[in-house]
Amino acid sequence: MSPPLPSLGLRRRVERVGAAVLDGMDAGFELARTFGATVRGVFRSQRPPGEVLAQMYVIGNKSLLFVAVTLGFIGMVMVYQSCLQLNRITGDLSQVGPEFLKLLIQEFGPSITALMLATRVGAGIAAEIGSMKVTEQVDALRMSGVTPIDYLITPRFIASVIMTGVMTVFAVLIAFAAGGLTAASSFGVNANTFFDPGRVRVFDIALGAIKTLSYGMAIPVISGFCGLRARGSSEGVGAATTAAVIGSSLAVIVLNFIISGTGLLLLGDGR
Amino acid sequence: MIRFVDIWKSFGGKAVLRGMSLEVKDGEVMFIIGTSGVGKSVTIKLLIGLLGVDRGEIWVDELRVDTLPERDLYPVRKRIGMVFQNATLFDSLDLAENVALPLRKHKGMRQRDALAEAERRLAQVGMAEFAHRYPAELSDGMRKRAAIARTLTLDPEVVLFDEPTTGLDPLSARRIDRLIRTLSDEVGVTSIVVSHDLTSIFSIADRIAFLYQGVVHMVGTPDDFRGSGDPVVQQFITGRSQGEMETPGF
Repeated sequence: MSPPLPSLGLRRRVERVGAAVLDGMDAGFELARTFGATVRGVFRSQRPPGEVLAQMYVIGNKSLLFVAVTLGFIGMVMVYQSCLQLNRITGDLSQVGPEFLKLLIQEFGPSITALMLATRVGAGIAAEIGSMKVTEQVDALRMSGVTPIDYLITPRFIASVIMTGVMTVFAVLIAFAAGGLTAASSFGVNANTFFDPGRVRVFDIALGAIKTLSYGMAIPVISGFCGLRARGSSEGVGAATTAAVIGSSLAVIVLNFIISGTGLLLLGDGR
Repeated sequence: MIRFVDIWKSFGGKAVLRGMSLEVKDGEVMFIIGTSGVGKSVTIKLLIGLLGVDRGEIWVDELRVDTLPERDLYPVRKRIGMVFQNATLFDSLDLAENVALPLRKHKGMRQRDALAEAERRLAQVGMAEFAHRYPAELSDGMRKRAAIARTLTLDPEVVLFDEPTTGLDPLSARRIDRLIRTLSDEVGVTSIVVSHDLTSIFSIADRIAFLYQGVVHMVGTPDDFRGSGDPVVQQFITGRSQGEMETPGF
């Protein structure tokens, strides 16, 4: 006797889950192909002249205030809270500045800057490319003999890699300075004691640099990929923009976990 | 000769083309007509690989194009140009740069030479004085003429027009009709035109293909269509809202 067939409702639900899994896998492979094509595009010369500089301006200059304000306040709050807690326990605030700088370089500077860029820059890239997709400009590029990834994503990729680095350095300096001012004004910590880079090791700088590079590569590729997958009309562009912000932010968090975890496993904490 | 053989194409499980077959002869002006969403634009995009077929074959002379990878489609796109429905000029480039882009990419011309050629092509469509203006500064009709110049700049053997007169004033529309007819008569260009504009269709078409329910319902000359006793064809070309024709969504 053959086993009973599943009900139609159950079968449809299983089919829907299966289709979603297959779509997800397909999107994953396509994203990997987009990343590969973007990197290859760096070594080709299909980019519009001056586009990398224009994108550096958009990504860097236009995010400056946003990143400065965010990291400035985060620096102030973190140092204030740290000093408050340490005052209750040991009262020794001499290591707050050096440890804060170490943490900023390997963790908060790259990651929070990248999260800010993922929202501002990622949304912009997806909206721009998505609009071009739904108005057939991407098809027109293909008809003109241009590879859309080379023309649209690669310049943003190069600009993002450079400017994420620049913005991270800027963010670390702002947060450190804001933290130092808070420590001095609220807890009387001496500036020479706070602004001491002695705890920072090559390992911290390397980890921060790897994270910055990875985020700088991930944000434009994911956002551009979402833009190129936009369908329909303005609704499709909106969906692509939302997907780009979520995808880029998630990528920053996951990459942070992977890079930090790998670094600690391979090298310990670098002491 | 262009041949679509038993073409099937679905979007999200909804079959748009269901075994469509059509032949387009060299040098003719073929109009593809039909109700909205019947697959007219899809048909011409399948020809140049902007969309992929689910099933069937597409031939351009002796070359089967539906199985070509993206890289091998570039030579095909050099021979077959397309004028899109929304002009599709790139906002960040001025008109001359827009027209020069395919010359640089397909023909490998240097920027200066490509720009000079682009200005000459813009002059052919009466747009020389706007060569250094940006698309946002121009009217729809002007943008469409510039888009046509961009397509013609590669001297294609076949030009696909997706609703070329939609949104244009009657005078601009008839100018574009005349241009399509001239391309065929004087240069021997094959034109495949997707349109709802009955004035264009009955004034410049050599043949018309009527798409209905995913297949070519009728192919013939404008006179064949005028004299057709098919109630669905008659309902479409006379624009009657009542009749035998099934129009999804109404």
